[in-house]
Amino acid sequence: MNKETCECGHKNPYGTYLCESCGKPLKEDGRLANMRYEGVARRSQTYKRSVVDKVWNFFSSVKVGIWIIVLILVTSSIGTLFPQEMYIPPGEDPSLYYAQEYGILGQLYYDLGFHNLYSSWWYMLLIAALGISLVIASLDRFVPLYRALKKQRVTRHAAFMKKQRVYGEGLSSNADLESVKDKLKSKRYKVREENGNLLAEKGRFARWGPYVNHIGLIIFLIGGMLRFFPGMYLDDYVWIREGETEVISGTDGEYFVENNEFLVELYDDQNEDIFQEALMREDAPVVSNYQTNASLYKRAEGGSIGSETELEHVKDHEIRVNEPLTFEGISLYQVDYKINELSNFTFTLESETADEDQLEEVVFNVDLNDPQMYYDYDNGYQVEIIEYFPNFYVSDDGEPMTMNRVPDNPRIIFEVFPPDTDPETDTGEISMIGVQVNEALNEGHEHRISMQDVELVDVTGLTVRRDHTLPIIIVGGSIFMVGLIQGSYWHHRRIWIQQKDGRMLVAGHANKNWHALKNDIAFISEGTNLPEVHDQLDEEEKIEEDKSKMSEGGSR
Amino acid sequence: MKKKRLWMRTTILLVMLAAIGYTFYNHFSEERGLVDQGDEAPNFVLEDMEGERVELSDLQGQGVYMNFWATYCTYCRDKMQVLNDHYEEYEEMGVKVLNINVDETTLQVERHQQRYDLDFDLYIDRNMLVGNAYGVGVLPSVYLVDDQGEVKERQVGGKTEEQVIDALDSLVPEN
Repeated sequence: MNKETCECGHKNPYGTYLCESCGKPLKEDGRLANMRYEGVARRSQTYKRSVVDKVWNFFSSVKVGIWIIVLILVTSSIGTLFPQEMYIPPGEDPSLYYAQEYGILGQLYYDLGFHNLYSSWWYMLLIAALGISLVIASLDRFVPLYRALKKQRVTRHAAFMKKQRVYGEGLSSNADLESVKDKLKSKRYKVREENGNLLAEKGRFARWGPYVNHIGLIIFLIGGMLRFFPGMYLDDYVWIREGETEVISGTDGEYFVENNEFLVELYDDQNEDIFQEALMREDAPVVSNYQTNASLYKRAEGGSIGSETELEHVKDHEIRVNEPLTFEGISLYQVDYKINELSNFTFTLESETADEDQLEEVVFNVDLNDPQMYYDYDNGYQVEIIEYFPNFYVSDDGEPMTMNRVPDNPRIIFEVFPPDTDPETDTGEISMIGVQVNEALNEGHEHRISMQDVELVDVTGLTVRRDHTLPIIIVGGSIFMVGLIQGSYWHHRRIWIQQKDGRMLVAGHANKNWHALKNDIAFISEGTNLPEVHDQLDEEEKIEEDKSKMSEGGSR
Repeated sequence: MKKKRLWMRTTILLVMLAAIGYTFYNHFSEERGLVDQGDEAPNFVLEDMEGERVELSDLQGQGVYMNFWATYCTYCRDKMQVLNDHYEEYEEMGVKVLNINVDETTLQVERHQQRYDLDFDLYIDRNMLVGNAYGVGVLPSVYLVDDQGEVKERQVGGKTEEQVIDALDSLVPEN
């Protein structure tokens, strides 16, 4: 790698546009100097060496970074066209659902993995690539830029001055440099002087805005990444029937929650209050509160897991929407409920032939979450439950089965033994009972089972959430905003004034808002006889315009 | 200077690569159970249908074939048929078969035992305490615990008779 030596004697890295020391253009390109990154060599762009350098240079490229962002934007938006897998109706087979619902496009969507886009490996790789690109591209630009701005000299090469966009020159004798300095200071410029040359500078910190912004973004991404680290993030679900206790996942079986009662409260539409008008507009009653009265338990120290687990009461809490039960960084939120799950059936026997008084005694309760096997009565009746299916269906082989443990569609097969039969040897009257189902499964029934009562229970659905990444994400987001404001509402302005061979050169540079810079120069020129400045870019455009006008005129 | 830069770049790239690699590992290795190969099997106590208690730590010195099952799981049914045919011979060789039901009603478990003529004891994991501690999701889930109390393997899903017998063979203590 060759150093490029400027005529001022400074050795610049290969690829430098403007000498780091005096600012003399080292490459001839155009009338105006390329002031981007102060004309320093962005090292990664100027040479290629080992594999590490090649990888580094790839991610350092802004072009690559933009492409990554575009890819993320496009794929993210495609992911919103059809619902993600977790939002399709529960129990649906995704391999069939997308094709059925959305046709060929749906099938394609599924085949390409868009149904699980945001956790697919290639989407995560894109995000990771964005993170790497942010780190490397920022480092590669920030370090040289910081060095160049930190070390900039007051006296610049005349060619540097002439190649600035805002430039003017004139005789130096008339100018009143002292009042120029005062005027610059009144505009809150920082003024440095060296051999009668001036450098006035303002708002340099705005140049760090993009880098602060990137730091915020990187912290934000790190926060998101930490969700995949063990113990940092948990998002689970638990259904609890009233009166039951369930283990809280993510606590290693240490904590349990009991649902004492679940409530849905409605607004009273007779009551005179501020919501009255809105409530009247609704046809259905409006819910004012969903609430689970919960108790938290902890497994006793030293106890083993399983049937000998002893629970110690920790606390009671009324869980409402946005009022979670919180312990050790875990919060239980009210998110769902199921009213009226079947929990208990009460049956009696009816018969046309048997003795009424005897039948009256035969009342049996079936707890659908823990049914009893036999029911014996003093008068000789015996009822046996042969089979119980909490969530009944008939399998492909024609076999009666249960889908799971939830009594959503309970079927019970009873065998009733009247007093004159012997349960050991005889076959009783077998029938299958469910909701609106009462089928005799063998011949010669003299009794009929009748459902007298149904007990229902409410089930609460709680989200179990732990998120230690949230503070990091908030910090990242805040830094992001600070950087954005820093870079947007301030801008870096510089004015150089130089005297050389009896002439005075004035040049100005702003990284944006040139208008304000020109105003500032106009302000300091007033009454100080500073040479008039021109915007060389405007002039260039004007020349171009004139040229094109002339050619148009010529062709006419 | 050049060396220093190369070293810096390599370090930064490696740190980022490690962080991303670890994230991917965590995200895509969900196949690994909460308790899996090489882990110490968490101790537990369960009761069978007659209230007889069994504690895992009491079974040290024996291989343990822990089978989490449900009546509504067809693969479990096939597997338990195979286990029922072989459990006695392996018990003599020092392998204990524990069939642990995932919190169904006693009635269902008992009827299931009668219907399929299962001779061994069936345990019910009330409230899924043991299942949760072991991270049981899909049924059947089998944990092969060796005579030192260490998990040798976690097997999820249906298995052929041959595979079940291989698993039992692998649990026979060496001495």
